[in-house]
Amino acid sequence: MMLFEFQLLSLDEKLDILYREGVYVGKYKEEGLWTILYQLDYFYIEVIYRQYRRYIKRIYCFTSTSLLDPYLEGIQIELLVS
Amino acid sequence: MNSLPKNIIVYADDDPDDLDLVKEAFSKYSQNVELVTFDDGGSILAYLSSFENTPCLIILDINMPILDGKEVLVRLRKIDQYESTPVVLFSTSCLPTDKIFAGQYNAGVVAKPLAMQQMETITDLFIDHCTEDIRKRIRR
Repeated sequence: MMLFEFQLLSLDEKLDILYREGVYVGKYKEEGLWTILYQLDYFYIEVIYRQYRRYIKRIYCFTSTSLLDPYLEGIQIELLVS
Repeated sequence: MNSLPKNIIVYADDDPDDLDLVKEAFSKYSQNVELVTFDDGGSILAYLSSFENTPCLIILDINMPILDGKEVLVRLRKIDQYESTPVVLFSTSCLPTDKIFAGQYNAGVVAKPLAMQQMETITDLFIDHCTEDIRKRIRR
């Protein structure tokens, strides 16, 4: 699936395909909002929650890896190389 | 008055947010279910190794440091007491490799919910892995 095709889907359709095919990358909390990042094919999807895994504030899609920095802090490198 | 003993479900997850999520999901069955939680794989394995009874369901987060959910599952299946106990791997993604692995060890896979609609069905997905007798006792 291409990013623009995903963006054309309804919210329920987006959640359905993310649930079935999205690959979890990481999450962080900032200013009371939880953000969970998934990868789908060649792009990324941020699901931003007002309440963790319950109420979604918005969904944001992108392809640039420069936006992945907030998630890198949560990755424990020593566990990956051990 | 409810005189039957509660059905014990044990759950390990290193993510406190997901622990809270599942605790809340099972709160509607609090009369019939006692949810015992752990924040790492080693603790749940130590608890189960010395547990005299057998829980009706074991829920294991896949991604835990030191001892992940898959390793806990492998070790549990080597213990006679847990050879056939229902186990669910609780995953952040629906990866085919996780489903294949779980199938090899007679376990199920449930993906963590993305929104309220899925949240409402998650307890049912867990309970569906229990034996028929236990399912009736939990939902009575």
